[in-house]
Amino acid sequence: MADEARTKQILEKLRNGVIQYDEDACREGANEAVAEGLDANGAIFDGLVSGMEEVGRLFEAQEYFVPEILMCADALYAGLEILKPHCKQMDLGVKGSVVIGTVEGDVHDIGKNLVKMMFDVAGFNVYDLGRDVPLDKFVDEQLKTDSDIVCLSAMMTTSMVGMPLIIEKIKAKNPNCMIMIGGAPTSKDLADKWGADGYAEDASNALKEAIKMVAFLKKLRAEKTAQQ
Amino acid sequence: MNSRERVLNLFEGKEIDRVPCFSGMGNITEAGINKLGYRFAGIHLDAQQMAATAASTFKMFGYECGVVPVDLCVEAEAIGCVINVYPSAEGILYPTIKEKMIHKEDEMEIKLPEGLAERGRIPLMREAIALLKADIGGEVAIGSYVLGPFTLAGQIMELNDLLKLSFKKPDKVAALLDVMADAIIIVAKEYEKAGVDYLTVREMGATSDVLSPRVFKSLIQPPLQKVIKGISVHSVLHICGKTNDIVTSMMDAGPTAISVEQKNDVAESRKKLGDKALIFGNFDAYNVLVSGSEELVRSTMRKCIDDGVSAVWPGCDIWPTVPPQNMAAMMDEVKTYGGKK
Repeated sequence: MADEARTKQILEKLRNGVIQYDEDACREGANEAVAEGLDANGAIFDGLVSGMEEVGRLFEAQEYFVPEILMCADALYAGLEILKPHCKQMDLGVKGSVVIGTVEGDVHDIGKNLVKMMFDVAGFNVYDLGRDVPLDKFVDEQLKTDSDIVCLSAMMTTSMVGMPLIIEKIKAKNPNCMIMIGGAPTSKDLADKWGADGYAEDASNALKEAIKMVAFLKKLRAEKTAQQ
Repeated sequence: MNSRERVLNLFEGKEIDRVPCFSGMGNITEAGINKLGYRFAGIHLDAQQMAATAASTFKMFGYECGVVPVDLCVEAEAIGCVINVYPSAEGILYPTIKEKMIHKEDEMEIKLPEGLAERGRIPLMREAIALLKADIGGEVAIGSYVLGPFTLAGQIMELNDLLKLSFKKPDKVAALLDVMADAIIIVAKEYEKAGVDYLTVREMGATSDVLSPRVFKSLIQPPLQKVIKGISVHSVLHICGKTNDIVTSMMDAGPTAISVEQKNDVAESRKKLGDKALIFGNFDAYNVLVSGSEELVRSTMRKCIDDGVSAVWPGCDIWPTVPPQNMAAMMDEVKTYGGKK
């Protein structure tokens, strides 16, 4: 078991690996975490996610742009792949599954992938339908998997207008399913009007929203650990 | 002064009686499609239907231009991508690229196919432009659009990879963008031959929401400049998103006018670029024109004019389900309020 200083060093390596979009450093840090018996959930949240939070901040400060975020995401995944098999079920009362995809008529999936990443990090079962997904596929997949959340993404105004139809159909069959919409043309007004439960305007906001969500999980986790 | 004279005078820096209300991007309406008895999915592959639908926005609402095509896939298709027009879709689904040409980094060194001007729908586009011009070209200016090099590259290869490589291997991306610029110039020349009065270059993917102003200047601007230099008719450079930080670079790329959307603070841009600069914009083509009330449409038109746009022009393609009364309110407000200014 690594001592406190060593643990800190490994977490730092993971965190900086994400911030500096260094996939090798993340892999190395993750392997060290596993070899030296660190809690895998801790390595993810206090290492990788902590790095992603900083990336979100750098993005907001306009030091980072989308290319950097994509590279940071690659680094995060490099570490996550190694750590995930070692994760214990977190039992935070929020474990669940999510159906996610870009709606038919749209082939843009950067924002969708960033949101997906944070669901992956949080330990959700993610059913990624990909892009240009026919509307009924979302409805079918939700019914099939009984997912708690459905995320619909569209970057173009021209594809966004399919969203209310999907929302209506899913809500009719399963009123408890949460629906999040995202993409440049969406807005809080539209989300309200269409009966969606949440929205994120663009890839950067999607990242922010997703980080917020995961930061909340992280807090829950910290509280839980403190109680034990 | 008819609409054609008004728009052309604006481009040429001559006297006009009021700001025009037109666009260089798609502006067909469902009302127009229905009146003609067409289906949205059919008009992309039929020059006559495409031209008639484009003309209907002027004929029904007095919109001050005629613009074809309707979708954004013409260049990529001609270069060799497979597109999907969703032929059996009931509603409105714009064509998308089904299959990219470049799948990984080492496929980036592409050569343009021989006879690009005769490939894909380029001949159909020439025909549509000529038909549109013959129909309403005496009354309105005829426009078309091409993509910018970066946006086109994002269709030819995975956007995700393109963005990352812009950072990791800028030289490789620059080389690809240069090839894209050549393709775009070839297409633009065909449109010019067919008779367009102005061309909009849509570099939507290169917004400063996505790329830093520094990358814009070093990587995006040079091939854009090349494209704009290659256009002989009036040119408009359109970029989406928050463009206040790059309006000067946009102007430096050399277009006759720039086009910005609602995220641009036009009063601010006007201050930066001076009285003479042609700035087109900048209302939300969906949340105002389609889903907004008539009053919101009117107040937004007044705000655009007060902020100092040179032409009232949408931030994106006009979404076809636009309510006819909102089209009418837009035209009326620009004519009356714009006429007083």
